[in-house]
Order: sequence, then C-alpha cells, then structure tokens
Amino acid sequence: MDRVKSTKRGSEPTPEPILEEELSAFVESDQSDPTSTETDAPIVPILEFDQVSKSFPGGYSAIDTVNLTILPGEFVTLVGASGAGKSTLLKLVYAEEVPTSGVVRFNGRDLTEIKRKHLPYYRRNIGTVFQDFKLLPQKTAFENIAYALEVYGKPTEDILAEVPQILELVDLDGKADNRPKQLSGGEQQRVAIARALILQPKIIIADEPTGNLDPVSAEGIIKLLLEINQLGTTVILATHNQGIVDNIGRRVVLLDHGHIVSDEMVGRYVTSERKPRPIV
Amino acid sequence: MKTIKLWRTFKEGVDNYRRNGWLTFATVSVLTLSLFIIGLTALIGFAGSLAVRNLEEKISISATFKPDVSESRILTIRDELSKYKEISSITYVSKEEALKQFLSDGNQVNADAVTAIGENPLLSSLIIRAVNPADYDLIATKLQSSSYQNEIDTVNYARNKKKIEGLNDYASRARAIGLTLGIAFTLIAILITFNTIRLTIYSHRQEFEVMRLVGASNLYIRMPLFFEGVFYGLTAAVSAVVFLTAVAFAFSRNSGPILTEILGGTTFFQVYLSFLWIFAPLTIIVGILLGVVSSHIAIRRYLKI
Ligand SMILES: Nc1ncnc2c1ncn2[C@@H]1O[C@H](COP(=O)(O)OP(=O)(O)OP(=O)(O)O)[C@@H](O)[C@H]1O
Ligand SMILES: [Mg+2]
Repeated sequence: MDRVKSTKRGSEPTPEPILEEELSAFVESDQSDPTSTETDAPIVPILEFDQVSKSFPGGYSAIDTVNLTILPGEFVTLVGASGAGKSTLLKLVYAEEVPTSGVVRFNGRDLTEIKRKHLPYYRRNIGTVFQDFKLLPQKTAFENIAYALEVYGKPTEDILAEVPQILELVDLDGKADNRPKQLSGGEQQRVAIARALILQPKIIIADEPTGNLDPVSAEGIIKLLLEINQLGTTVILATHNQGIVDNIGRRVVLLDHGHIVSDEMVGRYVTSERKPRPIV
Repeated sequence: MKTIKLWRTFKEGVDNYRRNGWLTFATVSVLTLSLFIIGLTALIGFAGSLAVRNLEEKISISATFKPDVSESRILTIRDELSKYKEISSITYVSKEEALKQFLSDGNQVNADAVTAIGENPLLSSLIIRAVNPADYDLIATKLQSSSYQNEIDTVNYARNKKKIEGLNDYASRARAIGLTLGIAFTLIAILITFNTIRLTIYSHRQEFEVMRLVGASNLYIRMPLFFEGVFYGLTAAVSAVVFLTAVAFAFSRNSGPILTEILGGTTFFQVYLSFLWIFAPLTIIVGILLGVVSSHIAIRRYLKI
C-alpha cells in the first residue's frame, strides 16, 4: 500500500513518468501479498466500489450508489434484468466509463487518478471477455493472442513460447492458424479468453461471454473460467443464464436499476421480483 | 516507443496494406489520379512557360536609323538606352551586317534586287529586347518621343505589336488557368484522399476498440496507420510518375516538329525529363504527406480514450 501511495505521489508533479513500470511495480507488490496478508496485513480488496454512481447524459442513472468489495481470488457473478447496469458496472472497472460520483479502487488505487494516456497500461491488469468475442478479424488465433503481448513490448521469443502454452490451456492447439471466421463461436470465445489470460491479469471480466453460444459451448466456457479462478485469478462474470448461475455455486450479486439488491456468498439465480429460492 | 514495438507496428502497417485488398486499391487509385492530375497541370504549366519564355526571346523591337546618322551616334544612343532597366539587351546591326543577313537567306530574287540597285539599300538599326514583354509598348513610345526621334527612320513595333500582345495575353492567361487548376485539383485531391482514407479507417473502427481493450496504447494503434499512409503515398506517387511519363512520351511522339520549335528546339519529352527531376521527389513527398496527414486526422475520433 505504502509503495502504491509513494509512486502515485511521485507521479503528481511530473506528468511524464511511464506508468507501465509504475503499474507493474504496483502489481508486483501485490503479488507478494497472499503470504503476508494472511499473517499480518489486512487483505487489500482487488476491487472496491465506494458509493459509486454513474448517470448518462439525459440524467439516466445506470449505477446508483453502489458499494461492493471484491477480494482477490473471488468468483463473482453479476445478474440482473436487461438494462440493470451490469455492463456499465464492468465498464467502470476497465475504465471505459468514469463514475459520476464515488470511487472505484483497483488494488486500493483510485482509478480516476490514472491518466488517460496511461489507461492502456492499467488495462493490462484486466482481462476482458465479451459476448461478441472482440477478436481482430484479420489475425489468426495465434496472432490475436500474440497481439496482447506485442503491444506490451514482450520479446518475440517469449511470445513464441507463451502463446502455444495458453492455446493448449484453452484446448485450441490445433487451431492456432485459423482466423476468427474459421472458428466456431465457442472456439472464438476461447481465443478471447486465452488473450485475456496471456498477460496474467489480476481480474478477468466476462460480460455475457456465453451470450452467443450453444449450451454445450457455454458450459465449456464457464468451466474454463472456473479453472482460471482456481489458479488464482479473480473472475467477474455478468450473465443472464440461469442454469449457469445455479451451477456455479459461488457469490452472486443482483443488480436492479443500478442498485445492488442482493449479494449472496453462495448464490443462485435470482430476479428482483422473486426472493432467492431456498436451496433444497 | 521501443524499437521492437516500432518494428511490429511497421509490420502491422505492411499487413494492413496487403490485407485491405480493394480498399487499398481504391485509396491508391484515388491518390494516384489526384497526383497525376496535379502533375499534368504542373507539366503543362512548365512546358507553357518554357514556350512563352522561348517566344519572348524571339520578340524584339528594331529601330532603324536614317541613312545620314553616323555609326558613332547610333552607338551613343545605344549606350543611353541601355540605362533603362526595362531593356534587357540592345544589339547594333550595321547596314553591312543587315545586308549580309539579307543575302544569307539564299534567296536569288533578293540577291538580284540588290545587284540591280547597285548599292546597299538597307539601314543600320538597334535591336531592342525588353525584360518583360509587357514593356514593349512603353519602349516604343519612349523611342518615338525621344530627343533623337528625328534620327529614327522607323520603329517596327507596330508590325510586332499583334504578336507581342497575343503572347502577353497567352502567357498571363495560361499562368492564371494553370494556377487555378493546380490549386483546385490539389484541393480536390486532398479532399478525396482524406475521405477515402477515412473510409478505410471507418471500416476498421471496431478493431481500434479491441486494440485499446487489449492494452494497446494510442501510439501503438496509430503507428501502423502511419506506415499504411506512407505506403499509400509511395505507391500512388510512383504510379502517378509512371503514368505521367507514359503520357508525356506518347504525346511527344505524336506531336509535330512545331511543338519542338515552340519549345526552343527540345522535344516535349526532353522538357518532361527536366521537369521530372523536381516533380518525382515532390510527388513522393506530397503523396506521403497526404496519406499520413489524412490517416492521422481520420483516426483521431476513434481514439477518444
Ligand atoms: N453510453 C450510454 N449512454 C446512455 N445510456 C447508457 C449508455 N450505456 C448504458 N446506458 C444505459 O444504462 C443502462 C444500463 O445499461 P447496461 O448496458 O449496463 O445494462 P446491462 O445490465 O448490461 O443490460 P444487458 O443485460 O441487456 O446487457 C441502460 O438503461 C442503458 O440504456
Ligand atoms: Mg450488458
């Protein structure tokens, strides 16, 4: 924490310091946490929403005074009706949107303090997965994943070593040279997850990752996300799919009109109209 | 930016250029056409001004002096005239020289006529050339109202007047048209190129979002487009130069000797070659600049965050 504060303060007077190093230093300091946190220091939430509201021009309030704390290693499922504000809440995390009021903290750090031009470096701490995969259409599966490393300035030999490993992890070793058009929806989504994983992010954000997939592929994707979570990465999943939520058996946060209306540590799919069903 | 990233963005630029297929073709075609038209306008202007300069050199006023004016007197007048800054050169032609020139035509009738007269019927004269053809009028008036006007037999300005006026007219009109066309086409070229490149970038707008999400910095997203712009400009410039060369060559071959004479003894293609010297590097610079600036402006709106 101290180290975070001091690097932050150091960046205030001079507008130039490269946050790439700053942020990676900041992330590394956190990596040594698991041992130290359990013994002496309190656990630093990986993500913290503190009285966060977001309204869009026209006054529509998509997120309304949300308080939410997510600890490292959690698997959180966000549910709620269409328009409840799930995507907006996630956008606040990867800084695609800025809160109208309140503070979003990543690893204890206020996101509004990150300068615009340094956002790309911050985003490398967060892997994103979307319903529409968001792959680069002219690149192969391999190239799409490699891109996330190239952008980072990773040496080529490291890229050539790491990408095949991650492709194997998502079970796509045979499809490295296929373009997105030559892959099924489930395969495309696994490429997207592999790309999100390759930088070893602190958090994976998955906004309806199964929205375009058949039930079998969807199940595979959720299994993959759970595996990734098992390896220590925090996962935040937004979904509509009741069956999926009920099977995960992890924390479920229900949003309704921008409010958190329920937050169960072992949750099931709920809607704002119905109280959670008792687990039989 | 690290060298490795620079190299990667360069490769991305090459890949985009190759993969974009018809869009690359369209962009390069438009840019080529624009540069070609600009080049053609400039070439016509260049050849035109060469022709004008050449014709201007052939125009002069000659003042013939009465037979009783002595050579030394004419030379005094010459020295006096050469003080005017409007006059670029004055040549004294004695009546003997005038006769020699007259006979050197090889025209037997002329020779016979001179023999019949038995003496030199020609007069000494001063051939005056102006710096600017527009000043011939002024010079002629000056001569006719000078202190030595009585010593002058004739000022053959009137005979040249039509020719001079026509040339003046042509030269200034050609310059005006050339300049207007040049500017108009340059503006059109910039607009069309800009729009084509904007279209190219528009078709990739979703990819910029993806790149940003994956953690690419704006510079990293921009650089491939910068290189793409360079390639567009370079390809288009080279194509434009090739096309213009072909057109100049064909035109030169099919044009008669009159054109060569108007151009002062050089063929149109030779004129083109001396023009190419400046034109080729300039086109390449303009082409690259057009490609780069267009893509630079067009991408801005997609990199808000
Ligand atoms: N850029 C924007 N400008 C204006 N309103 C917006 C914007 N983005 C989202 N909204 C509004 O905010 C509300 C929440 O949107 P959001 O996308 O977060 O919902 P969601 O819970 O993800 O819905 P879905 O399940 O359909 O994806 C919606 O009413 C939406 O219209
Ligand atoms: Mg949504």
